[in-house]
Amino acid sequence: MTKTASVLTGLLAGTALAVSVHAASAADPIKIGVVTPLSGTYTPIGQQVRWGLELATKEVNAAGGVMGRQIELIFEDEEANPSVAVQKAEKLFEVQKVDFLTGTVNSGSTLAVGQTAERAKKLIATTVSFADSITTDKCSPNVFRVNARAGQQSTALAAWVAKQKPKAKVFFLGPDYEMGRSTVATFKKTIEGLGATSVGEVFAPLDSKDYTQYFGQLRQARPEVLYTSVAGNDTVRLLTQMQDFGLAKNLIVVGASGTVTSQNISAIGSAANGFATGSGYSTQIDTPENKKFVEAFKAANKADPDLYGADSYGLIYFFKAAVEKAQSTDTDKLRKAMEGLEWMTPQGKKTMRGGDHQAVQPMYVVQVNDGKFNIVGQVGGDEAIGPDECTRF
Amino acid sequence: MAPFLDYIQFVLAPQMITGLSLGVAVVLVALGLTIIFGLLDVINMAHGEFYAMGAYLALALGAAGVNFWLLLVLVPLIMVPIGYVVERGLIQRVFNSPDRHVTTLLLTFGLGLVVEEGLKIVFGPNTQRPPTPISGAVEVLGVLLPNYRLFLIVVGVAIVAAVALVVNKTRYGAIVRAAAYDRNMAASLGVPVSRVFALTFAFGVALAALAGVLLAPIYSVFPTMGRDFIFLAFTVVIVGGMGSIMGAVIAGLVITQIQALASLIVSPVWGDPIVFSVMVLVLVMRPQGLFGRLGHA
Repeated sequence: MTKTASVLTGLLAGTALAVSVHAASAADPIKIGVVTPLSGTYTPIGQQVRWGLELATKEVNAAGGVMGRQIELIFEDEEANPSVAVQKAEKLFEVQKVDFLTGTVNSGSTLAVGQTAERAKKLIATTVSFADSITTDKCSPNVFRVNARAGQQSTALAAWVAKQKPKAKVFFLGPDYEMGRSTVATFKKTIEGLGATSVGEVFAPLDSKDYTQYFGQLRQARPEVLYTSVAGNDTVRLLTQMQDFGLAKNLIVVGASGTVTSQNISAIGSAANGFATGSGYSTQIDTPENKKFVEAFKAANKADPDLYGADSYGLIYFFKAAVEKAQSTDTDKLRKAMEGLEWMTPQGKKTMRGGDHQAVQPMYVVQVNDGKFNIVGQVGGDEAIGPDECTRF
Repeated sequence: MAPFLDYIQFVLAPQMITGLSLGVAVVLVALGLTIIFGLLDVINMAHGEFYAMGAYLALALGAAGVNFWLLLVLVPLIMVPIGYVVERGLIQRVFNSPDRHVTTLLLTFGLGLVVEEGLKIVFGPNTQRPPTPISGAVEVLGVLLPNYRLFLIVVGVAIVAAVALVVNKTRYGAIVRAAAYDRNMAASLGVPVSRVFALTFAFGVALAALAGVLLAPIYSVFPTMGRDFIFLAFTVVIVGGMGSIMGAVIAGLVITQIQALASLIVSPVWGDPIVFSVMVLVLVMRPQGLFGRLGHA
């Protein structure tokens, strides 16, 4: 009797287990791995990524999840180091079995994790990395980018400059390393294409003490526009010394998106006034979606969202829309659903271009005035995107 | 002819004048360094951090409402006891060791690291900048020059002249030089040698801090600013002749002019290699530097 009973219970338990396993697959959370810098220099960026993702996930889950399944975020620290990022990504794919992966900040990390994703046959998306190569010559069928790339920022800024000063004489001043030279080259190509002429360029060593030694060449060239991609403390010195020497008068000063930031803007003070740059986001975007987003973000994190927070927030809605369109989290079906997908973000409607996996979005030109970035220009998504240069798929 | 005049007015003259203002800044930083080296025979690797401390003190006191002109006096005065304590508490301990150069170098290097991290903890890692105390600019022969830079050149010359006078012409200077030249002889003649050394060190530290106050509005204030001028300042001290005030002034002005003019012809990235080549050349041809040591002339 006892034996029969135990067999019966065993059978019953077995069926129950089988039933519960079956039911679980539909109600199981969808796992998204997040490999982002939670320590080191890029911590503030990783913080924004985390805040944006968590806010959108909370909203989506509260509204019933994606196809009835909740989203679960699993965070790993990439330390802004590509080799660490690859290890963490492998762990998330192989051990945690995540369905999707995002968060990489350093462009090198994004490229490296993209290769890991190809091997694991999973998809990833970056919400931060700017390097054009990610969706041009080093594009990958498994990598998507929902934020604007450097080329889009540059195009928006160039279009704005050309409107302010048609056929301008432009002078370039960049830090003497890869980033400085590539940003100057990109902007130069773009602005010359709009009819401007280059009247000189200088590459200064990082941490230059005195930029006054370049002012002679700058004066002699008599430019109407100065483009610079120096960053951090170098910007403080360049802009304040230009102000002291009266060089900022009758000169439009524009630059890369990392030139004037919340970290150095107070030290630059009034010398930053008038500085303009191209950006994919501003808290001042005047749409109901953005206002709602900014309010919710502030309430949750006691801080303003920036570009990275907004794009990471938008990513969750991108993923949701794609899964619902594909009715699956299967890699191939999901990829197909993502290509050409249109979805709503705080910046407005974005479109994921199928040919190179680069999001098309409206771009903004923001200008500094008394410590605040004001939107002074807007360029439509199609105008700023540039040609599809991806040949791998 | 016109392009040539254009070149002089827009390029050459401003380049030389801004080079001069950088030169004065370098000499100001090098002045304390050369005095500490020349008189105490101590290589003070923490000199840059004392310069940073001066700038941060000016920033903090300025934010608390202290007038800039008062800061020029107050900040060096605050730094004197700090320098005195550092000399008595740390440097004196290793001063008599057989490899004084190595031990003092390591000690002050470590001290510099501690100060730098301390500034980072107290004031945060971001760049800050006090307002420029004198605004506006004047045009000299078609060259626009900010008033504050002119002020800096004038004040710099005055400070260097005053320090040279004190060291070479006053009784105090004579005592210090005597102690440096032969400490045993000076001690037997009644000179309180260790106190003289500590005060001399404190004087050098106060000069570094004064340079910090003066240069902060131009070069901005951040925790690692101490490293900014230190290589150039050391080069100036070595080329000028360790411990020679005259040498530091001449070397400082010549080297910054070479750098300024060279950057017109070759990429500015070559500025530092050129400066260090000058240093190597001087060390090969004239190891004691252009001018002799202070107190050993």
